[in-house]
Amino acid sequence: MLRLLVDSVRDYAIIMLDTEGRVLSWNNAAEQLKGWKAGEIIGQSIAKFYPAEEVARGKVENELRVAAKEGRFEDEGWRVRKDGSRFWANVVLTALRHPDGSLRGYGKVTRDISQRKANEEKIKQQAQEIFEMAVVPVVQVWEGILLVPLIGVLDSMRTQQLMERLLHRVTETSSPVALLDITGVPTIDTQTAQHLIETISAVRLLGAEVILTGVRPAIAQSLVHLGVDLSSVASRASLAAGLRTALGLLNQTIAAAKDQAHA
Amino acid sequence: MSTAISVIKVRDILLVTMPPDPDDSTIAALQERVLAAMERHGSAALILDIAEVDTLDSFFARTVAETAQMVTLMGGRTIIVGMQPAVAITATQMGLTLGEIETALNVDRALDVAAMPAPQKHRKVRR
Repeated sequence: MLRLLVDSVRDYAIIMLDTEGRVLSWNNAAEQLKGWKAGEIIGQSIAKFYPAEEVARGKVENELRVAAKEGRFEDEGWRVRKDGSRFWANVVLTALRHPDGSLRGYGKVTRDISQRKANEEKIKQQAQEIFEMAVVPVVQVWEGILLVPLIGVLDSMRTQQLMERLLHRVTETSSPVALLDITGVPTIDTQTAQHLIETISAVRLLGAEVILTGVRPAIAQSLVHLGVDLSSVASRASLAAGLRTALGLLNQTIAAAKDQAHA
Repeated sequence: MSTAISVIKVRDILLVTMPPDPDDSTIAALQERVLAAMERHGSAALILDIAEVDTLDSFFARTVAETAQMVTLMGGRTIIVGMQPAVAITATQMGLTLGEIETALNVDRALDVAAMPAPQKHRKVRR
């Protein structure tokens, strides 16, 4: 009855091992999962199921030792099929003992969780993308006006991403004005200020202007005390004031273009 | 060679488009051709379109900055157009300052800029 269960079960490779880690029994699921037939594998060491570099690191002996000592060993990792291809496996190794307590062998249950692993990777990647978007959001608030609402501490990695994303969006959307809103930035040190100035210079090279908005009293005080020279940068206390200035800049451009058309 | 660059005169503007990978002789020729055209036409502005240029070396950067200064001396303005993000990042890291050079996102906007009065040269009141 139990034999029937072991042979009929799918998805779980159930194998018995001797004390040295050699295969004693092999079920149908094991054949399907790993590719070897019972006749080919019985008597062989389970080292065949592991990538060569892990065998070299002594992983097989280590697993058997832990299972013998603690009764059970569970692991997730790469395993190898007969044809050399790899799959991500969940493995549970259980020590089996004689009634007198001496080691008789091991039971090994292996499951292919490659699909789950792939799903996890995908979710992780999506989370990363969302995270990056949240780190430096760049939104178009008006035709020709981009807004970068920065929230939280600006470290050098973030300011680097800020520069790259902002420059690309300015080029993509042909926006002549970008509002850099630092209302949500708790403090600014000399280095951060330097990064912001660099970003603003780079945006100017593209032919667009940056207006720094949300300069709170505390930020204004610390910038002056630090001796950061922002005199070349247009800045406003609030986002609303910045937006008004930006619209003013655009209107001027449009008005000038009209004048020229009439001339 | 220098044949790669054409200097187009439109009304009182000179329009120059840089090829994607300008070599040193092309860059040197740029300066000669632009200054010669400035002398002949007495143009008010030079619009230099570098949208195709994807790498900026120091020679190119210096030549452009120098050419702009020379154009200013001859009574014109220089407007750089269409710089790519990667080029702008390199330029900033190299510490390239634009000085008197103006910039625009595209040639359309550069024409708008050229139509506006030149910005006052750092005449901000400082006490």
